[in-house]
Amino acid sequence: EDDDATFTQPSTSQVQRGLEKLTPAQVDQKTAEVVQYFLVKDQKKMPVRRADLVKHVVKDYRNIYPEILKRAARTFDQVFGLKLVEIDPKNKMYILVNNLETPDKASPVSPSNPKMGLLLAILSVIFMKGGVVRESEYLIWNTLRKLRVDPGEKHEEFGDVRKMVTDEFVRQRYLEYVRIPHTEPIEHEFRWGQRADAEVSKAKILEFMGELHEQDPKTWTQQYRQAHSLPNSSQASTSSSSQR
Amino acid sequence: MCLWLNFEKNCVATLGICTNKTSSILTTEAVNRPFLYPVSKTCFRSRTSARVKMKRSKGGGDEEAPRHNGSAGRRKADQQQSDGDEGGSDIGPADLQDDDNDQGLRREIRSKYRDLISSVQQNREDMLSPSNNKLTEVLEEANKLFKDVRQAREAALDAQLLVVATDLGKEKASQLFSEGTAFDPTAFAEHLLSFMGLNRLEDDEDEQQNTANGYLPQDAWHRLARRAECCFRTAPSFHYMMGSFYAEPPPPKQRIERQRKAPSKEAKRIMPTQLKKMEESQQEATEKEVERILGYLKSYYQDDPTSPISYYEFVIDPSSFSRTVENIFHTSFLIRDGLARMYLDEEKLPCIAPVEEGEVEAGGSTSRKQCILSISPKIWKELIDAFDIKDSIIRPPNTQND
Repeated sequence: EDDDATFTQPSTSQVQRGLEKLTPAQVDQKTAEVVQYFLVKDQKKMPVRRADLVKHVVKDYRNIYPEILKRAARTFDQVFGLKLVEIDPKNKMYILVNNLETPDKASPVSPSNPKMGLLLAILSVIFMKGGVVRESEYLIWNTLRKLRVDPGEKHEEFGDVRKMVTDEFVRQRYLEYVRIPHTEPIEHEFRWGQRADAEVSKAKILEFMGELHEQDPKTWTQQYRQAHSLPNSSQASTSSSSQR
Repeated sequence: MCLWLNFEKNCVATLGICTNKTSSILTTEAVNRPFLYPVSKTCFRSRTSARVKMKRSKGGGDEEAPRHNGSAGRRKADQQQSDGDEGGSDIGPADLQDDDNDQGLRREIRSKYRDLISSVQQNREDMLSPSNNKLTEVLEEANKLFKDVRQAREAALDAQLLVVATDLGKEKASQLFSEGTAFDPTAFAEHLLSFMGLNRLEDDEDEQQNTANGYLPQDAWHRLARRAECCFRTAPSFHYMMGSFYAEPPPPKQRIERQRKAPSKEAKRIMPTQLKKMEESQQEATEKEVERILGYLKSYYQDDPTSPISYYEFVIDPSSFSRTVENIFHTSFLIRDGLARMYLDEEKLPCIAPVEEGEVEAGGSTSRKQCILSISPKIWKELIDAFDIKDSIIRPPNTQND
């Protein structure tokens, strides 16, 4: 955090001057390093902080940081079909999401991660309940229990469920588990995290609901409206449009 | 203690109670909705006046319970007209004294309140359903309990229960007014289970049951995860195709069942971590070895049950220090599992004996003692000389893994 506080975004003219002093090969090399850093960090789905990026990868090239990030974003888009997304403009955090359309069926080749199934269940509940669920309502934990996942016991597949939901998913920014102010004893509420906002399609979730309940998704009018509102209303902005 | 309950929109009441002031402020804008039980009709008059009564009994003051505007509803089905001053309960000073001090009764009341609170929380979805009156029943139960409330602690629990109940009431109300179908989490869970491939048992006809019988297949969560892929725009993770090493530990293998009781919960948790650390072939080899050693111990013991077996004579292999250490290691498993026991004889030398069949008690009531053994080649040699050990009791295995 300290590093980030002292990092002031260089101006366009500063970047220009910086670029003039370097060879194209050097800039390409640094861009490639940034790309690789992101790809590895993405394995665990942890967001990348600008401070870490500058400290560990960009280093001396920080005066042309915006240019490097721009080129990296282009590489992600053109080479990998990924989108570099800034999920937290205030704390400068980035994630990678898939730029391609969601498939109609799961890929038969790559192995699936069962945690994503659990996450889908939780996100669905939160969405259908209007976007916020208080922990004190026990809704999340009760639903999991009905699915044979007891947060109090060590689960065969997921291990420490409570930790996974309130810690891992939160750090990955799939969920938000925030303290409700002025509550005594301390209470929390669950919301969608910034990564979920960027990655998960509400319309598709509603479609899934429709399949499960054998109903037309439109019967959930409020949720349907929310799912089909303006495309960028709940999406995080892309890095190219908010480099600041 | 201040308790404010707010309902929104079409809901019922806005009310506040300040019990640290000399008067209770209570305004209710009661709307006669038959399914909104909390607050306006039933509870607060009695609670307010009871609190005033408590203050009085503590020699607090001569406040009067205020006049309430609003409904003249009653808390019991028998429509008694009750004055705010009296609080609807005939208890004289003498009774107050006894009830006040009866710790058992206090505890009981608090415990019943806690049960009520927890039942509301656990069965929330159930209570939300418009098809039943469970919420009313809870409140009526609370009313009954409240009659005996005398101290602040219990009143606090009562207040907590009301917060929870009114929260539920608010949600029930909003359900009625929201457009579109309500979302039923219970049905959702049921459908998910079916989607994941739950194999229900044949005789599962009881619709009252909330939990479905049956078992989930191994790949249940994977099925759901694959469906999730269609909703998520997750970036596929980058991995080397031919990595330098496989970082994940291998999946735990089933342990061979041995003669002991079913493992306690602690044992259930300990097992997977242990297994993950060992690689497969070593795991089996260790267990075989431990069993083999148990065999030696038993047969040696059976030869002469009266004569104690010296621990050192048992584990030491005079021809190999490393084998000795292995023997000590494997023997420790027998002790840990309660299949063998160690004790000191008259000369304070350690002896070992197998535990009789009937005495086997893994993790039972016997206190567990632990000790750490250490041995060096020097000590090993000294022991061989001291005990004049010529042969090893435990024969080396046929296949040497050294």
